[in-house]
Amino acid sequence: MGSSLLSIGTGALTAAQSGLATASHNISNAATPGYTRQETLQATNNSFVTGSGIFGQGVHVATVKRIYSDFLARQVLDAQSAASSAQAYHQQVSQLDNLLADSTAGLSPALQSFFSGVNDLANHPGSLSARQAVLSSGEAMAGRLQQLQQRFDQVRQGVRVQAESSVSAINGIAKDVARLNDAIALAETQFTGHTANDLRDQRDLLIADLNTHIKATVVQQDDGAYNVFIGNGQPLVMGNQASSLRLQPAAANAEQFDIAMDNGVVSLTLHPDSVTGGALGGVMKFQTQSLDTAQNALGRIALGMATSFNAQHRLGIDSQGVAGGDFFSVDLPDGIPHSGNTGNGVVQLAVSDPGLLQASDYRIQYNGSQYTLTRLSDGASQTAASLPTSFDGLNFTLASGALAAGDSHLLRPMANGAGSISVALTSVNAIAAASPIRTAAILSNVGSATLSAGSVDAAYLAAPLAAAVTLSYNAGTGQLTGFPATASVTVSNGGASTTYAPGVPVPYTAGASIRFNGITISLSGSPSNGDQFTIQPNNGATGDNRNALALAGLQTANTLANGTASFHGAYSQLVSQVGNQTREVEVTKLTQGKLLEQANSQQQSLSGVNLDEEAAQLLRYQQAYQAAGKVMQIASELFNTLLNLGGR
Amino acid sequence: MRISTGMMYQLNVARMAEQQNALLKTQQSITTGRRIATPSDDPVGAAQALNVSATDGQNTQYATNRDSAKASLGLKEGTLGGVTSLIQDIQDTVIAAGNPTYTDTERRFLAGEVRSRLQQLIGLANTTDVSGQPMFSGFQRGQPFSVAGGQVEYQGDSGHREIQVAAGRRMAVSDSGRDVFETIRNGNGQFTTAAAAGNTGGGTISAGSVSDPTLATGHTYQLNFSVAAGVTTYSVVDVTSGTTLSSGNPYTSGNVIAFAGIRFEVEGAPASGDSFNVAPSANQSLFSTLENLAHVLETTAVGVPGQAALGNGLTAAHSALDNALEHVLKVRAATGANLKELDVLDTVGDDLHLQFQQTLSSLQDTDYNEAISRLARQQLGLEAAQQSFARVMKLSLFDYL
Repeated sequence: MGSSLLSIGTGALTAAQSGLATASHNISNAATPGYTRQETLQATNNSFVTGSGIFGQGVHVATVKRIYSDFLARQVLDAQSAASSAQAYHQQVSQLDNLLADSTAGLSPALQSFFSGVNDLANHPGSLSARQAVLSSGEAMAGRLQQLQQRFDQVRQGVRVQAESSVSAINGIAKDVARLNDAIALAETQFTGHTANDLRDQRDLLIADLNTHIKATVVQQDDGAYNVFIGNGQPLVMGNQASSLRLQPAAANAEQFDIAMDNGVVSLTLHPDSVTGGALGGVMKFQTQSLDTAQNALGRIALGMATSFNAQHRLGIDSQGVAGGDFFSVDLPDGIPHSGNTGNGVVQLAVSDPGLLQASDYRIQYNGSQYTLTRLSDGASQTAASLPTSFDGLNFTLASGALAAGDSHLLRPMANGAGSISVALTSVNAIAAASPIRTAAILSNVGSATLSAGSVDAAYLAAPLAAAVTLSYNAGTGQLTGFPATASVTVSNGGASTTYAPGVPVPYTAGASIRFNGITISLSGSPSNGDQFTIQPNNGATGDNRNALALAGLQTANTLANGTASFHGAYSQLVSQVGNQTREVEVTKLTQGKLLEQANSQQQSLSGVNLDEEAAQLLRYQQAYQAAGKVMQIASELFNTLLNLGGR
Repeated sequence: MRISTGMMYQLNVARMAEQQNALLKTQQSITTGRRIATPSDDPVGAAQALNVSATDGQNTQYATNRDSAKASLGLKEGTLGGVTSLIQDIQDTVIAAGNPTYTDTERRFLAGEVRSRLQQLIGLANTTDVSGQPMFSGFQRGQPFSVAGGQVEYQGDSGHREIQVAAGRRMAVSDSGRDVFETIRNGNGQFTTAAAAGNTGGGTISAGSVSDPTLATGHTYQLNFSVAAGVTTYSVVDVTSGTTLSSGNPYTSGNVIAFAGIRFEVEGAPASGDSFNVAPSANQSLFSTLENLAHVLETTAVGVPGQAALGNGLTAAHSALDNALEHVLKVRAATGANLKELDVLDTVGDDLHLQFQQTLSSLQDTDYNEAISRLARQQLGLEAAQQSFARVMKLSLFDYL
């Protein structure tokens, strides 16, 4: 029995020592990231069976185990990837928010100052300094738009840098996990029944780290190795084999990037929608949901403004009497051919109606018999048998070559709209402040009829007035004659309109609007027989401000978005959109942060080290050690008693 | 629940960071005075503030436009004031010229005065604003009126320059010289009466008036006088249709002659073969009126026919000047009404500006009372968190080992 006591005591001592060692390990690693608290598992030794009963043979340490829950850990990972995604998204979208925050540096004051300049020109059409001010403030506004575009481009550059750093972090982690898979399998097969706790902690920490970059799911294998999957189940790590990610130019648009995955044998492109969670998912989402939208919205303002201003400017004449040209120039980039295209077609764009423009990219696809145009922001599409065709206020033309069946082009008219705008006019005299026509009643008229100043629309440009048109009134027939021989005349009065063929006399209706060759006039009052009215080219009219007034009126006109938004309105809509998105993402970030905190709390509540608890463990095992020592002392005393008996 | 020591630190530190963040934000909004630092603080408010300040900017622009309109209209009003008193002066001259004791020489002095007034009128009609833009040239920038071959000719056009003085209101600030100085009806505004050039008698014709507009034909008529055996009769011929309306009407000096809805008087003793023309009114420029008047005054009035021609000429000048005065006063009245409207628009614009500023302030300015009490509350919260954290973290079992 004595030897049994000794061996029981030794076992108890060892067990207590192990307990003390584990508690000390816990205390030392209380602040180690990813550390899971450990516990020694004690078990009774095999019993000793005798005739007088079955005697216990003391204790042994079965193993040291981690207090770890797979379920809680998975919750933490999920929360971690969502929180990191929201955080990365928020970090990026805040930049846009700040960019648009400054009310003195945004587009708004530049727009205001440009139109103030145009108003001043309308007030003083003959003043060279007012003309110069229009050019300068136009350049300042174009410059402001370009600056905004540059800032957008910088943010986009930042997205790429963030994506690159995430990708390189993911690749590093994947390699480490593969290496640890190996190490853990080796350790655990060598010592069957025991787990490599600290190695597993390290690997779990790496997986948590991986989830801050991209959402990854983990499947544990029988040998303890982790298989890690990302995206739609693409394997990042299989046992000791790690794949690697890289950025590559997107197939549809080389200016943008895709994420590709290499496993050493094949390379596959991850669908952008499948890259979710973590910082990488966050910035990808920011790029498509916020950055592209905001940049397109700004581009639409720039394009819409440039084209509608140009259209009105062309309806005027400059101080030399020459028809107005384009005030602004904007660049509409050609379609970007898909890398898999076989045809050599070049697709070109032009704005046909600024009011219909949408802040979106477009794709044109050819299936061999018809073209399909798709608005990428919402997927709406339209088909056409041939080009050119019109969609959303844009004219799609085939500039050269032809599309082969299956070809597609990506068109990004808005993306660089704000960056490409500049003032096309160089001379102050080229500003078309005057209207190309003027009207007059002949001085010798006897009747009291008056002729309105007249206005022109786009149709006028096709047949500008070369010489004066003199309309004569015949009291006998009540008709007007003298319209250009080739022009049909449309008379509208109170909603009803009648068109008269060229050369046919037009009955006079007081106050009706009369339109021919894009010129609209209205004659009112009572003319006398033989009264004459002239409509003539507005030569030498350097004091005319009518076109400048019309240009100034564009500031408040609802030109964009189907006639529902002015330029200012569209810009404030953009600001509110970015503001709303930022706010939404901020709330998501806070919510996900809280969820992560809760998941962490629960997980730590199980696996974290509590120092008071470890202090109690120290006390407990210290006492166990002392007690075991006492057992050994008693065993030794019993032995001595026996020896003394023999000595007598 | 089991508490992990590390988590306890982490949670407490995170809470304190949150509170510090909120405190900083409040403090920033107090220092900047802005409630909205970035659009995300209040997206709707930020967009509204942009819209309101844009509208306010336009409102301010309209005020600038109105200043420019006021300068132009003021100048126009002043110029037309000059024209008005010039016409009134010449009216006095016409009355003076009617003085039967005046000799040809005295009338020539008056003619000289009229000619210098004509030059003055041309000067007024060529007035330019500060930027050198003539007031009465329409859209042209050159001098609108110049003398060519003894005639004052208009070089401008019929344009009106307008200025956007308020949202949806454009106001004409310049006039065409044609409208102001040339589109003036002669005669009585409806028809004009004149003695034929070769009259030898002493008959004079009054300006006349329309007695029944419904009978007005717009035709030209001629009154032909004949004297036979001391009895003066006249016939009325419709020149336009070539028909004789009546003939052999007995003539009494000063009696009303009426036909086709018009009436006038002929006085004096017309000679046989004398005739008078009645024609629909046409436009006659103020310059021609003065030129004609000067010509009438410079013509030597010899005998009865000379006196009659003088009388007829003065009558024509008198009614033409009346018409011109009325016309110019009408333009002046419109200018005055425009100036008055601008004043009203100014008041409205100022009110709007104040309202916009108030709206802007309520949208984006910090409410200091609220912000400062929030700051005090947040400060208290943070202090409590710090103190309690320090206390709780002092507790450890190791202290008792």
